Amino acid sequence: MQELAFEAVDEALKDAGLTQDNIDISIVGCAGTRSYELMPAVPVNEYCGFAGKGPVRVEAACATGSAAIYVAYTSIVSGIADVAIAIGVEKMTEVETAVSLAIGGRSGNYLWEFHQYGTTFPAYYAMHATAHMAKYGTTEKQLALAAVKAHRNAAKNPKAHFQKEITVEDVLNSRMIAYPLKLYDCSPISDGASAAILASEEKVEELGLDAVWIEGIGYSSDTSNMTRRESFVGLKATVDAAKMAYRMAKIDNPLNQLDLATVHDCFTIAEIMAYEDLGFCRKGEGGKFIESGESDFGGKLPVNTFGGLKAKGHPLAATGVAMVYEIVKQLREDAGSLQVDLKIYRALTHNVGGTGHFCWVFVFGR
Amino acid sequence: MRHKIPVTKTVKYWKGLEEGRIYKTICRKCGREYHPPQTNCSFCGRETEWAEVNGEGIIETFTTVHAIPKGFEWSGPYTIAIASFGNVRVMGWAENVKVGDRVRAYTAKDESGVWKIYFEVI
Repeated sequence: MQELAFEAVDEALKDAGLTQDNIDISIVGCAGTRSYELMPAVPVNEYCGFAGKGPVRVEAACATGSAAIYVAYTSIVSGIADVAIAIGVEKMTEVETAVSLAIGGRSGNYLWEFHQYGTTFPAYYAMHATAHMAKYGTTEKQLALAAVKAHRNAAKNPKAHFQKEITVEDVLNSRMIAYPLKLYDCSPISDGASAAILASEEKVEELGLDAVWIEGIGYSSDTSNMTRRESFVGLKATVDAAKMAYRMAKIDNPLNQLDLATVHDCFTIAEIMAYEDLGFCRKGEGGKFIESGESDFGGKLPVNTFGGLKAKGHPLAATGVAMVYEIVKQLREDAGSLQVDLKIYRALTHNVGGTGHFCWVFVFGR
Repeated sequence: MRHKIPVTKTVKYWKGLEEGRIYKTICRKCGREYHPPQTNCSFCGRETEWAEVNGEGIIETFTTVHAIPKGFEWSGPYTIAIASFGNVRVMGWAENVKVGDRVRAYTAKDESGVWKIYFEVI
């Protein structure tokens, strides 16, 4: 894990033209449990040259990366640090798939859900797909379009877990994981790391850094038990986090006021619900939205240009920081064949932990 | 790793499953109902009272798990459903359900010896 984290840290430091001496605090995010170092921040910080600067490990399930960014941000805004690094790192392949599924299920609620009913993360999102299909007539084919778009984009992303295109037929014919979600409706079990360096306005100027700015922050969380949720056709945490971020960034029409977005497509249904919960389209119309092409290149708001979690991969704690990596590249107009035509120079990241147990939304601008 | 989980406060629920009863708790002060049951009202700080979940439920959602997690290898694909019973929702195993089905809840021991709630379409 520490070697993996170093690859990301090294790239970030080189990109900024900085060394460990310039960094005041290191925030390590790791969801953990599937990896053998039980308290991962310390070995990661030691290997990456931050021993003495790493006082905390952050966790918010699959939204850990965003939480790490937030803690780095608040260190700077508080005035205590001038330059901070947020590191998201996850090793998930050290355990067999059945164990990984059990850990995911237990991460919802062990005592009342996993112990008796054998919940898994695919199962939690599958229940949202069932409810969405029953209420709005969303189809498995519409869900498949999200996976197809993800793979088409990832085929051009050298950092992606899968770099091969797939078809709707491939998705519909893949084996059932948790009805109605099939293998290709699910993001893979991945290893990965991502790192982002944050700095105060003064330091950005002093060090001559090519910065992208945090212009909106939103966060929320929801109940542990699924039986205590308000509904199963969306994620309330996304709605609430987006409201908060949009208020701070003064956005009332995201479709017209953003150039692109990364949303948390841990499963195809999650992308469909994200379109609705983030206000890109009306509740229940997520399936029609993806069919319209508006979330693809050439559309009003390209979503997941990096291949999404589905094809780029979803190493839990790295994902939130990897979303920021993509947004920074895009806003710097450095995304090569995946470059979006920028008009507003604003983008959004949407990072969920668990089944909407946590949600973080950031708006970035340049 | 194995954990010894103390369930002193909710033992009435766990024993209730073995007696065919499904319990929830209610706060008499604010009226909140809790399932899964808990003996503290999170918001009033009062101790809640025990009540049974009765009657018909309506299936709100379900899924059939085919990729089985460790611990459930003894089972073939199983269907997890969530049904609403008045002011609470209950999770259980079911067979052949669709969203909107009316169900009754009952309890039974599964093949691995764990007591759980099942739903049967009425």
